[in-house]
Amino acid sequence: MNWFQAIHVKLLATDFLSLTVHNPPNYAPTFLRRGMKVWRVETVGVVVSKERTGDYLKFFVDDGTGCIPCILDVTDRSHLGLAAEVETEIALREAATVELGKLVRVRGMIMLGEEDGLHLKVRDVVVERDPNMEALHWMDCIRLARTCYDRVARPKTPALALPSYDMQASMTVSIVSC
Amino acid sequence: MMATSIIKPAVPVLLKEIESGSQFFKQGASLRVTGMLHAYSEDTAVAVIADANISFKINTVHLRDLSFRFGSYYQFIGELHILPEDVAILQARVGRIVDGLDPNLYNQSLQLRRQFESELVNS
Repeated sequence: MNWFQAIHVKLLATDFLSLTVHNPPNYAPTFLRRGMKVWRVETVGVVVSKERTGDYLKFFVDDGTGCIPCILDVTDRSHLGLAAEVETEIALREAATVELGKLVRVRGMIMLGEEDGLHLKVRDVVVERDPNMEALHWMDCIRLARTCYDRVARPKTPALALPSYDMQASMTVSIVSC
Repeated sequence: MMATSIIKPAVPVLLKEIESGSQFFKQGASLRVTGMLHAYSEDTAVAVIADANISFKINTVHLRDLSFRFGSYYQFIGELHILPEDVAILQARVGRIVDGLDPNLYNQSLQLRRQFESELVNS
């Protein structure tokens, strides 16, 4: 398994919106950042647009480098059992906290929408009350890009030339040292 | 294949960077500005924020659910409207209170981020 399937990669919006999309017919699309496959993303920014249509809350998060469309599914699935009921309740409560002008941290899975638009299928969204969290997220994005994500894409760099080299081990080293 | 974002991002700028001749001084430019609230008029809905001795006007007529407290720090996102004689005002569509924001952290992080962004573009 590729480690990054389970990790919400911290990206600036401009980085996210520049992901390379491979969309062959009959296969699920894949997304790459400079050769590194990405499945999930974490973003921090200001909510600049919000729209509730039926069972979906669509909102745009602006981090100053781009606006990421986010879609939160608030379909009521309580009839499917207790776990589904709790999930529905959590989604509704999170949706209620999303307001214009709020600084939010969103984690989600990358999806390709109609008209080939990249967006995030929201896993969770939380309002950040400390305004400094945004600048710290920018720093995280930069640090991780330079020390981790760029290296994963180009693993044969001097720092990772270990005697018994393999991709899995090098990614483990990268993640631990990030 | 690059995705297109329907909404233009508001570029964070320091108040001193919004002046005639600067790259940010363009009609309709989407900007994000930060400063301390010095004045606010309910009649005109114009707020004045200041940062490092530079003051700047914000038209807040479209904003809802935002209280205006003198001395608090605010961030506004909106479009630059340039009037005759190079006077500018931001037509805000989003605003928030950012009390507690560390100005040094913010300014330094912004500079580092701009550097990183230009590296991304050039690579």
